[in-house]
Amino acid sequence: MLQFTQFALTRALMAIFTLLLVSLIVFSLMEMVPGTCAERYLAFKNTQGQQISIDDIEAEERRLGLDKPFLQRWGNWVGNVFFRGEFGDSCILRLNINQLLGDKFLLSLGICLTSLIFAYLIAIPVGILSSASKSKWLNGSLRFVSYFGLAMPNFLLALMIMLFSTMVFGDTLSGLFSKEYRDAEWSIARVLDFLSHAWLPVFVLGWSATAFALQTVRALMLDESSKLYVTAAKARGLSGGKLLWRYPARHSLGPIINSLGFDLNRVFNELPIVAAILTLTEAGSLLLDSLARSNDQQLAGAIIFLLTASIVALNFITDIALAVVDPRVRRSVMGA
Amino acid sequence: MADTDQTSTSNAGNVSGAALGATIEVDQKAREKYFTATQSQLIWTRFRSNRGAMIAGSVLIFLILLGVFAPFLSPYDPTIKGRNKEYQNGAPQIPKFCDHNGCSARPFLYTLERTRSIETNFRWVTEVNTEKRRYLELYVEGWEYKLFNWNINLPGKKLDFTIPGFTFNKHLFGAKEGSVHIFGTDSTGKDIFSRTLHAIYTSLAVGTLGVFISFVLALIIGGISGYFGGILDGFIQMFTDAVRTVPAIPLFMALAAFVPDTWSAEMRFFFISIILGLIGWPTLARRVRTHLLVERNQDYVLAAQLQGAGAGHVIRKHLLPSFTSYIIVDLVISFPYMVLSETALSFIGLGLKDPVNSLGVMLQNVTKADVLLNYQWYFIPVIFFIALVLAFVFVGDGLRDAADPYSSVKK
Repeated sequence: MLQFTQFALTRALMAIFTLLLVSLIVFSLMEMVPGTCAERYLAFKNTQGQQISIDDIEAEERRLGLDKPFLQRWGNWVGNVFFRGEFGDSCILRLNINQLLGDKFLLSLGICLTSLIFAYLIAIPVGILSSASKSKWLNGSLRFVSYFGLAMPNFLLALMIMLFSTMVFGDTLSGLFSKEYRDAEWSIARVLDFLSHAWLPVFVLGWSATAFALQTVRALMLDESSKLYVTAAKARGLSGGKLLWRYPARHSLGPIINSLGFDLNRVFNELPIVAAILTLTEAGSLLLDSLARSNDQQLAGAIIFLLTASIVALNFITDIALAVVDPRVRRSVMGA
Repeated sequence: MADTDQTSTSNAGNVSGAALGATIEVDQKAREKYFTATQSQLIWTRFRSNRGAMIAGSVLIFLILLGVFAPFLSPYDPTIKGRNKEYQNGAPQIPKFCDHNGCSARPFLYTLERTRSIETNFRWVTEVNTEKRRYLELYVEGWEYKLFNWNINLPGKKLDFTIPGFTFNKHLFGAKEGSVHIFGTDSTGKDIFSRTLHAIYTSLAVGTLGVFISFVLALIIGGISGYFGGILDGFIQMFTDAVRTVPAIPLFMALAAFVPDTWSAEMRFFFISIILGLIGWPTLARRVRTHLLVERNQDYVLAAQLQGAGAGHVIRKHLLPSFTSYIIVDLVISFPYMVLSETALSFIGLGLKDPVNSLGVMLQNVTKADVLLNYQWYFIPVIFFIALVLAFVFVGDGLRDAADPYSSVKK
């Protein structure tokens, strides 16, 4: 048990270190955007009819702490994020970022995770089947379908679905809520409405994730199936589904769990563009807005940091889960 | 081993006649070929036996040729200069061989006539006259294009210079009178076929530049990390892992937002390629590092070091050649992702902009319901791009299988 705590602690420390490094990268990017927050505030005041001078800008910079050295500002930012969960204010919109994000980030995280689950629900059984089957036709077509999933970018898929639905149903299928629920409080009716809209983004995002997962599962299963322990199990008289589930499938589980973090990364990559096409109102398109329209570096930084943090968190969880699930890792970690 | 084989062959030849001897002789030759083949010959042999990859390879070569010879193949200037004012949002004109007036060996198009009368409410309307044929011709004169023409902009006015290159105005096909838009035209009257060909070229160029930059970075970072190992390696790996966890497209978007609107199309193009390269290196760097970690303890490295070779020399001359083939495979595999990223970025308006043609730029306006319902030929370039990416994925996969010494392919 002691060893397990030690393992969990080192993993947690590494995760925190990664987050710190990422926050440094994100913060330096935010700094690189031309123009500081002080200039933006005053530019806004200028549009309101106030005269401003260089002194005003300097005073504003002092007020916002922009005259301090880079590392100190980074420390402040990270401290606020880690200990108080505060991302500060957005310079352009002059609003608190936490308020701006609201439940949007959780919604988009939910959509991404759901599409990931959807992808694996399809990929694991199909991948195992295709690795076990000798049929050339089945394998060839599966291979083609999954390559097609890789080659057809998600935004094109979304476009095609929209094209189809406008032609057939006269509805573009965009948005996450119907009009009457858009600003309503959370209620059962709103959840149902949300679910009736969310299937499309989940499907579109899950599409290429499924293709990737299918490839991984199949390759792993093929690798494992040719190993000696499977032959030995066959010699003991096992066959069919029982053999597959009890031997190669369990061995392939480890790498698959391990790759979940990177799959989430990939889904996040697709999110903003799909969101832009389907006009979803969650963090993805918010990011797009904050970047494309106004160079809102605080908001963009906060979103990138949150996305990365959820990937790091997932990686941490999968590491721990693997130690619990996989007897080989468990033994080395927990010293059984 | 070769000796024993030879004796057994000659024995067999003596005993069971010349025919059997000959077959074994052939077999022997094939074997010898197999054992003496170089690495690249082996890979090529394995690759050739993979039918899917071979088909994909020929598709890929075809598309690359289309891209490289885009100016020659496209009948119109893909920029606003080549627009056809009289045929905006025009449907594809597909060359025909046969119609109700009989067949011809030469493909032809119908003449378009613009008329207005009281019936059309005095608006200009384009009509197809199916009685007047216009024949397609090969090697016609058209818009001018330049090859090997570069404007080099170095810092400082004095250092700028221009390589004039060659100017051509011949194109593969066209019609003497009227227009040939085999994929139709867009809302400003630009020829979609010409734009598609130029877009393929752009995608290939962005991908090549991006892959090259990430390759150089990966070699340097992975090389240092793998060769020296120890604390340095640990530190670099942590950094690489951190970069790898940041989702790339949101990061691209953050970086692409720096590009001021005033930048020229070429500047944008280079900037986007550089960003793609800067973000794409970690995976390859990891591969390089893992390989170097294994290889650096081999005897031949020790031998080189004992003779006083420096780290750079050992990495370049001894270690790199040992896994060039894997690197090439990785490069081919990472190529389509560069192309896709560029397309996505341009599509949302953060990547390339109008005078440069890329798939993303061409698809920028298709989300409008108007286009979705009425002008479906805007989607024709999509087919080419899916083909391009699929071809790259298949070829990359085939190469990976072929380069893997453990893959069980018979000689």
